[in-house]
Amino acid sequence: MERNRHPRWARRAALATFMGITAASATASAASPGAEIWARTVSFFTLEYGFLAYTIAGSALVGALCGLLGVFMVLRRLSLMGDALGHAALPGIGIAFLLVQTKALGPIVLGATTTALLAALAIGAITRIGRTRPDAALGLVLAGFFGLGVVILSYLQNSASGAQSGLQDFMFGNAAAIQPAEVGLLGGLLALTVALVVALYRPLQLMTFDAVLAKTMGVPVRALHYGMMALVAVAIVSSMQSVGVVLVAAMLIIPASAARLLSDRFERVLLIAPALGAAAGVLGAWLSFLFDGFSSGPSMVLVAALFYTLALLFAPRRGLIAQRRQRQERLRRRDAEATPNAGESARRPHSAALGEAA
Amino acid sequence: MLYELFIEPWTIGDWMWRGVLVSSLVAISCAILGTFLYLKRLSLLADAMAHVALPGIVAAYLLTGSQSTPTMLLGAILAGLVTSGLIRFVERYGHARTDAAIGIVFTSLFALGILLLSTFARDAHLDLNCVLYGNVLGVADHSLILLAVVTVAIVALTVLFFRPLQLATFDPALAAAFGLPVGLIHAGLMGTLSVTTVASFEAVGAILVIAAIITPAATAHLIAKRLETMLLVAVAHGLLSAVLGMYLSIWLECSSAGAMVTTGALLYAVTLGATWARRRWRRAQRRQRLQASALPG
Repeated sequence: MERNRHPRWARRAALATFMGITAASATASAASPGAEIWARTVSFFTLEYGFLAYTIAGSALVGALCGLLGVFMVLRRLSLMGDALGHAALPGIGIAFLLVQTKALGPIVLGATTTALLAALAIGAITRIGRTRPDAALGLVLAGFFGLGVVILSYLQNSASGAQSGLQDFMFGNAAAIQPAEVGLLGGLLALTVALVVALYRPLQLMTFDAVLAKTMGVPVRALHYGMMALVAVAIVSSMQSVGVVLVAAMLIIPASAARLLSDRFERVLLIAPALGAAAGVLGAWLSFLFDGFSSGPSMVLVAALFYTLALLFAPRRGLIAQRRQRQERLRRRDAEATPNAGESARRPHSAALGEAA
Repeated sequence: MLYELFIEPWTIGDWMWRGVLVSSLVAISCAILGTFLYLKRLSLLADAMAHVALPGIVAAYLLTGSQSTPTMLLGAILAGLVTSGLIRFVERYGHARTDAAIGIVFTSLFALGILLLSTFARDAHLDLNCVLYGNVLGVADHSLILLAVVTVAIVALTVLFFRPLQLATFDPALAAAFGLPVGLIHAGLMGTLSVTTVASFEAVGAILVIAAIITPAATAHLIAKRLETMLLVAVAHGLLSAVLGMYLSIWLECSSAGAMVTTGALLYAVTLGATWARRRWRRAQRRQRLQASALPG
């Protein structure tokens, strides 16, 4: 049974992805003349410009990394934590720029990671020592840090030399501006994350599904939690250049949720989510290359949302269509049971019993 | 020195008066609304609603070509309704938990709004920066009037329907048993949230309005034990952060909305620290008293 279902599931997933791409390209070609779109698409995927290799690799890595980490966040009910950490990276960018006065990658990544981590610690501390509710604590930290970031960025804008002009890219992302160093950083980060997930698979799985049980069995839940938050913070910060701080939460939440619809098995979800994320990343970068005014962040998020919608409709068992079919099947069985046609129900005693149970 | 820092801004033109008026109105309406949302554990819905006001407004502009206040309001309210419907839909059929459902829906809609704004609605006078961070000093007259009307309406509604609101907030089941229209009250709250978001939009922007809604209520909840006190403390917190934020923004020459939010967050942090210290001190005292009474004789 298990072996039998796998190919069908794989076929459907492939079909869903394919339909997503088709739908995206259909909307794309509806918007402006097809020939030019095609030409630009070809030049995008054949890497006509040197920077495109970095753009594609970077976007795919961002999608895969966020998709993988997002699975844990979504399953642990921390979906909106990514939103808070993303917004909290903004003051770090500003402070780093204030201190070193250049847009060098190193200080900015360091600063943003620091404030994002501080935000994670602040959320933990607030809920522990005060009586503020967890959801409010999250919103409070998100908005407070973002407010501070706005203060610093606007201060820079009013005071400084104009060297800060590119800081705007960090809000909504500009995948074309991804630097080779960032691709290296993202690749290293993805490798580290995969290695950690493989090495700590059992404790992580246990913690994800039953934190209390994990604790009683001696899993260092708190250390793992903050370790994971650190990883998420670094991932968010390295995704800033392509997705932007405002929408990075979506890349954590949406591919993971879509993967969750497509499979009930943890290992498979852990494989599907990064795949969907990477696809959304590349297609989003492609859309933003095709059309003027499409920032890469929002484009990636919309492609991911399209994947989610397709999964919601066509997922093999949890999709709306499959569910409707199952319901109709149940109803038909009940009808067959109810009609005074003894031959029908006698021929299928098993399904009749099922119908009764339902 | 003191004169220059504190008094002088009020004497040069009327912009300081205007800025403080605008931010106080935002603070009052958001603080009252936020208190009820906080108590109903809906703080993060404010996050979602504030974000989706943007696609609502842009879509309304694209469909009607007008940028009048009623169109914007209508667009944002519809977007709010669509959002809460979609969140419920994703929760039910997408087997997603509430937080994930909120995250999926509002980020997607917000991304859509940003793209529409930067492509088809470029000629709209909706500056992306302004939409995100707001501009307290750039609020137009008709927006100021809208803000004033909304604030007065919120205060009046809260005073008039205080008891039903209180009951529906703390115990919806009991309120329903008493025959109160709990669903209607909830819908009213959501509608007010949309309207307030739009009214505050120009002043503080889509993201920072979340702070104006959540922070005062969270601060008040640390101190207050009764709903009346909580509302008053929340309003006081909002007003204080509005005025102090204006000063901060003048001294640093930075965004006044950002400064308001930062001040508000600092006030929360101070309150949190104070209540924590007070609790520790009381606990220590109680321990001392216990030890003293445990001594023989």
